[in-house]
Amino acid sequence: MVRPTTFFQWVEFLLQQYGSLFLRGTGITLLVAITGTVLGFLLGLLVAIVRTIPVSRKDPWYKRIPLKIAQFLLGMYIEVFRGTPMMVQAMIIYYGAMQYLDLRMPVLVAAVVIVSINTGAYMAEIIRGGIISVDKGQKEAAYAMGLTHWQSMTGVVLPQAVRNIMPSIGNEFVVNIKDSSVLNVISVGELFFMSKSAAGTYLRYFEVFFITGCIYLVLTISITRILRLVEKKMDGKNHYTIYGSQSDSKSSITVADKEEA
Amino acid sequence: MSERILEVRSLQKSFGAHEVLKNITFSVDAGEVICIIGSSGSGKSTLLRCINYLEEPTGGDILFHGKNVEKEWKRGEFLSKVGMVFQSFNLFANMSVMENCVIGQMRVLGRNRKDAEEKAVYYLEKVGMAPYRAARPGQLSGGQKQRVAIARALCMDPEVLLFDEPTSALDPEMVGEVLSVMKQLAEANLTMLIVTHEMSFARDVADRVIFMDQGVITEDAAPGELFTNPKQPRTREFLSRVISRQL
Repeated sequence: MVRPTTFFQWVEFLLQQYGSLFLRGTGITLLVAITGTVLGFLLGLLVAIVRTIPVSRKDPWYKRIPLKIAQFLLGMYIEVFRGTPMMVQAMIIYYGAMQYLDLRMPVLVAAVVIVSINTGAYMAEIIRGGIISVDKGQKEAAYAMGLTHWQSMTGVVLPQAVRNIMPSIGNEFVVNIKDSSVLNVISVGELFFMSKSAAGTYLRYFEVFFITGCIYLVLTISITRILRLVEKKMDGKNHYTIYGSQSDSKSSITVADKEEA
Repeated sequence: MSERILEVRSLQKSFGAHEVLKNITFSVDAGEVICIIGSSGSGKSTLLRCINYLEEPTGGDILFHGKNVEKEWKRGEFLSKVGMVFQSFNLFANMSVMENCVIGQMRVLGRNRKDAEEKAVYYLEKVGMAPYRAARPGQLSGGQKQRVAIARALCMDPEVLLFDEPTSALDPEMVGEVLSVMKQLAEANLTMLIVTHEMSFARDVADRVIFMDQGVITEDAAPGELFTNPKQPRTREFLSRVISRQL
């Protein structure tokens, strides 16, 4: 085979040679980013809920003290995992588990664990912000009709909070697609890791990473678009039906919303 | 003599050093419509919010059917029997009108969806909002929202309904539609406790009018008496200021 000379020849050549490698790397990147973001979201939700449970001085000590301690520890968790690079966290968790717990995690498991815990710390703060942003009256109305704290959270406050923070959740998703690349330090076979090995053979770093960059861009743009659709879906229809009229109780008409501001 | 539903005894509420309610005592009989009036900052809203524990009172007792709410009632059960209509409506923004009316019935009272929806339609019809059951709060006008909020409260079959300035956030032309719904409820003998600035409504609909000033009840009388022949100078001063402006 003739050795490629121009940029485009190289790109084509590398795609033929390493297409499946790129594909596998993309798969792993997506897998780690999606599961990491979803698990991180759930973790963040839990942390944010516990951190926003109101503690009143009238509560008995056996409720107040454990809650205060839990809230303090969760605050520490957020500080530590937001305050250190994910690359360092990966090294500490992966090699720490190996050296001191004698636990040899499969790298993919380690990757998902690390991304989830890291994302959880950010999500916890994002969700807490979302909860605070929901009008206080919503919770008061729920409480006034006798719903418990848990019921008003799950039924009224959190759905609104999550809707409000969808753009931030999208951000986290995009960040995770890109930042899962730092996991190459523990040899997770994600897109960056695969690209590096592909580039090494022919020493064509520019061409390989040009392809890699394009793949990342396609991934992040697709995810952003999908999340926009989810947001639209959460907003519900932009029209509603009025049932019955003065002359005919079975009639109905559909009314469109005013132009959204 | 009808039954005494609600009794407030020596109720106190302070925010830090600021004493908002000082030793409030009064009672509500079944079927009574009581309007609470007074200038802003007099503690009217705080009183209402203490009655259903949106604010924890700092002293005193509240009795519901003669039983101490804090000691002898389950909080959730008490709250489901005492409805609240807010100044800013507070309809659940993430739900349709129907869902707003159904959630409390299902989650608190344990009704099934079919019964809950039937009840919701019944009360939505009463307030003239049944056609809008599929709309979301953001798609309604202020007056419509408040009427839905009243229906939502009624769906819980409350024994007492508290109104916290229900028309204060409305455009003037929407005040009437809400007041007429409230008037219907009064005629149907619902027990109501209404904090309001609508003096003509208080005069025409209330059985009793309570005037509050600086955290105390200054006067508690039938509307005919309180409006035409107020005993306290403070009441007289307030009424002359407010009524000359409203009429």
